[in-house]
Amino acid sequence: MNDAIATGAGAATAPASGRVHGKPRGMRLGRLRPFVPVAVLLLLCIGITLIAPNFLTRGNFVRLGISAAIPMVLACGMTFVILLGSIDLSTEGIVAVSAVALSLLVKNLVNDDDFGLWALPAPILLGAALGCVNGAVHVRLRIPSMIASLGVGFACIGIATVVLGGITVRIADPLIRDIALTRVLGIPLSVWTALGCILIAWLIQTYTRLGRWAYVLGGGEDIAKLSGIPVGRVRVAVYTLAGFFYGVGGILCVAQFGQSQALIAQGYLFSVITAVVVGGTALTGGEGGILNTIVGVLLVTVLGNGMILVGVPPYAQVGVQGALIIVAVALSTDRSRVRMVK
Amino acid sequence: MRISSQTAARLRDNAPIATLVVLVLLVGVLSPTFLEANTLMLLAADTATLFIMGAGLTFVIMVGGIDLSVQAVASLSSVVMAVTLPALGFLSVPLALLSGILAGVISGVAQTRLRIPSFIATLAVSGIAAATALMLSGTRSVPIPPGMRETVLAFAAARTFGVPNDILVAVAVLVVSLFVERRTVFGRWSVAVGAGEPAALVAGVPVNAVKIVALAISGGLAALAGVVMGARLSSGSPTLANEFLLPAVAAVCVGGTALTGGVGSVARTLVGALIVSVVRIGMTFIGVDPFAQQIVFGGVLVLAVAATIDRSKIPIVK
Repeated sequence: MNDAIATGAGAATAPASGRVHGKPRGMRLGRLRPFVPVAVLLLLCIGITLIAPNFLTRGNFVRLGISAAIPMVLACGMTFVILLGSIDLSTEGIVAVSAVALSLLVKNLVNDDDFGLWALPAPILLGAALGCVNGAVHVRLRIPSMIASLGVGFACIGIATVVLGGITVRIADPLIRDIALTRVLGIPLSVWTALGCILIAWLIQTYTRLGRWAYVLGGGEDIAKLSGIPVGRVRVAVYTLAGFFYGVGGILCVAQFGQSQALIAQGYLFSVITAVVVGGTALTGGEGGILNTIVGVLLVTVLGNGMILVGVPPYAQVGVQGALIIVAVALSTDRSRVRMVK
Repeated sequence: MRISSQTAARLRDNAPIATLVVLVLLVGVLSPTFLEANTLMLLAADTATLFIMGAGLTFVIMVGGIDLSVQAVASLSSVVMAVTLPALGFLSVPLALLSGILAGVISGVAQTRLRIPSFIATLAVSGIAAATALMLSGTRSVPIPPGMRETVLAFAAARTFGVPNDILVAVAVLVVSLFVERRTVFGRWSVAVGAGEPAALVAGVPVNAVKIVALAISGGLAALAGVVMGARLSSGSPTLANEFLLPAVAAVCVGGTALTGGVGSVARTLVGALIVSVVRIGMTFIGVDPFAQQIVFGGVLVLAVAATIDRSKIPIVK
């Protein structure tokens, strides 16, 4: 135990250890910390089931999957950005541009295009390109990612609004709607798409240099630079990757809602960041990953679903969600290891 | 021709003001009515609430944190004021401000005691504040009883010598904030914490207390912005200040306060808030397609920050 405390204090700077790490309480959970979000998720599921037994039905699980699909895809991108220790506020904008592009290329009620499924690569490529712009602005102009992505996000919402002139485009292509409606093995294609995105993200995180480098950059960018990692290029690549996932998210939005408009993704940004962080990926970077994000997205989705089942009044739901964020993040932060909390 | 680093620093220091002047002249030349006293007064009144909110946010960003709860707190305070106004009269205003300060303290305690990053702590408190506002208001907008606006809320809603009072409230906030920032121990401490937290800790700065106070100030000023907004619109509403958060963050950053902390000032935020307003209102004057305004705004935001931030003080841009 003493050794453990000593290590904990050693990791922090000497002065910080004195007051903040005086109590050994923080060490008790030790190696179990990473599993705290999973435990919270399980407890939440048990709690909801006790009050509303219909939580544990097949139908409800499919419903959970459907509502988790879009945030999950977006969170795949956000995870890599947060792993760098950066943030991306352009999510809603890039999703909107991708969704608008797709809805105007397939059969719709506004123009005569009808590219069907051939249109699908367009929103993805567009998303990746916008993500690349995002990263390039951040790296080339050397401005904080929060501001770069905020600016790009504003611009993207603007582009989506200008292209549509403020209207909503309904789509009339049944094949696109099928992404949300057709079920394979009882699960909608949109959920399969989300599972596919998780797999892609996991493969990139585990088996590619980009994935490893993202961790290294988040852990200590100065060291990464000294070790010869092309820091700037990695950042641009990560934002491009995030844009790729936002593009896929745009497709799912159009499929789910059957329409597109500039504010189609409103509300997703902060819930996605919340999901990533609640899952245990640290905003400071270098810690966590896609598996954490799965848990985080499920936590947020299960909570939302559970509150409806249990009958929490709609106006109180944001408040309960806020309280849960504090509890979940407080439980999963190893306070003895955190030096500075910004 | 080489520019010495000192000159470069001075140029960068004054870049926000230069940007503001250029923007005003640009809009003024293209649309001369913009420079009329009435228009400029309107511009100032419109900037007042954004500035008040941004001023509070500046204190948090100075210590290296962020406050994402300002818009929810402003809405909450407008609701608290509107709901309690008939019963409490003038006391409803301090009560509304108190609700904001309380929200800030909760964020601060969550950040320092539970060690949750301010980004997440304030996001969570934002949800709690929004839920409280929805609950208190019954999810509707709450009208302020007729007559109350001219009497109780005159300090924010009336005019003094032809100047809308919200401008005067903003000026008062500027003066007090500058005093706190430059002449008090807290002001010096927040620079120290923002510039180098470990060093500040060793030097005996009560880091946690500074962070909590910064968030409390931010909550209090956001609440004041909510009161002023409510007084102007004659109602409190749980969605009153929606869409104010990101412009407020933008105002602080465009003014030249660094997100990393330690560098900046409320005076800079005033310039930043004016830039944001001039861009917004100026575009309408010049006749930029309203739909395209967001694109221009995003571009100006990026360029303004690129021109102002002092990279020598930020080793790693995250």
